Amino acid sequence: MRHAGFTWHDGALLAQGLAVSLGLFAGTFLIGLVLGSGAAVVRHFRVPALGTLLHTGLELLRNSPVLVQLFLVFFGVPALIHQPLTPVFAAGLTLSANTAAFVYFIAVAGLDAVGRDQVEAARAFGLSRVQLVRHILGPQALAFAVAPLVGLAVNQLQVTSLVSVIGVVDLTKAGDILNLRTLRPFAVWAMVGVLYFAAAKTLTLLGNRWERRLRAHAAPLGL
Amino acid sequence: MPFDLTVLTPHLDTLLAGALLTAEVCALGIVGAFTLATALGLLAVGRGWAGRLARLYVDVFRNVPFVVQVFFLFYGLPEVGVYIDAFWTGVLALGLVGGAYGSDVVRSGILAIEPGVVEAAKVSGLSRLAIIRRVVLPIALRTAIRPLGSVFVNLVLSSSILSMITLDEVTGTARGVASETYRPFEVYAFLLAAYAGLTYAVSLGIDALHRRLNRHMAENGAAPGATHGVMGRTA
Repeated sequence: MRHAGFTWHDGALLAQGLAVSLGLFAGTFLIGLVLGSGAAVVRHFRVPALGTLLHTGLELLRNSPVLVQLFLVFFGVPALIHQPLTPVFAAGLTLSANTAAFVYFIAVAGLDAVGRDQVEAARAFGLSRVQLVRHILGPQALAFAVAPLVGLAVNQLQVTSLVSVIGVVDLTKAGDILNLRTLRPFAVWAMVGVLYFAAAKTLTLLGNRWERRLRAHAAPLGL
Repeated sequence: MPFDLTVLTPHLDTLLAGALLTAEVCALGIVGAFTLATALGLLAVGRGWAGRLARLYVDVFRNVPFVVQVFFLFYGLPEVGVYIDAFWTGVLALGLVGGAYGSDVVRSGILAIEPGVVEAAKVSGLSRLAIIRRVVLPIALRTAIRPLGSVFVNLVLSSSILSMITLDEVTGTARGVASETYRPFEVYAFLLAAYAGLTYAVSLGIDALHRRLNRHMAENGAAPGATHGVMGRTA
């Protein structure tokens, strides 16, 4: 007997897939945010060799397909170090690094947008580099970077759909499983598409609200 | 096992054949994307139902992952009686999504045109079509060339996803080579560098084209190297 119809359990499967996708997105986006802005600060202070090294590496990540990066980490690295990686770990590593690459270029532009004279004034007041980043550069660069960051987040959510290739059971993989059982690809992929669309729209909405709040605060300062 | 790229030499012609297929599917996809982007960009400026429809189209294709779109076209459409092979599904998918991302660029290019220019054209008695063809599009596309190039570069990167619908483009052939040589790290590292080198070359070309097309405009020099934007990546 073949159970070909849709059941309530399929809803649970899709919900579980969506949760995995969202969780993976949230985790890797936060890690990427920290790593990317860290690299941008390193570049901003012109740390000699490290700055160039990071720039080259992140440029390489930004200019290659995420799918190939996933293959390199999941299939390539274990062959090199003779140590298997779990799909979730490989996916997390790849997506974090990939997000970091895109965040880096947004953050560099944001930091460059803050006037040099402000940095000089802060140094004249005797602020340390850490204080400079925390109180002068950080908040203003964030105000510049928030719109592209929201765009990146929506994009990054969609990029997580690729981890299904290396066996992570995210929303796309859940759709794949469902499709294999019901043999109704038209309905299944339409449903998966709607779920991704809803998630992306919600994220955009939240991002826009956050952007308005940040800008409302920054507006009187003439940013 | 030390890193050794020479294991790839016997497989170079296989990879090259895959690269050729990537080039073909991307070239056709980019042509489709450019056409669709221009048409949608023009429509999306409008206020009527056509404009609303165009914006809805863009919204849908930008917010659904490329893999899901490709699976829908390749596996979903046959269920309702539409059969397209892997190659043309790839061309179609790249064209549809590239059109969505590109139309936003064209649309903002059109919106950036000084209203006086269009008004002058109207006063001169040019027809609607002539205004679009001779005034609006030349100006809009000239300023849009750099972000459009970034969309197309992203399209090339996204074409790797077509390996998931049995299309043996360069990523697909690389998978085969990796399992044949048992040297996945070398294969994928080489592939990654090849894609990056290619996109870098394309970005340089677009920068040059942008400079050439905008050589009469003094203040339109956006920051160099900004070709490959963060927005508009299809995945």
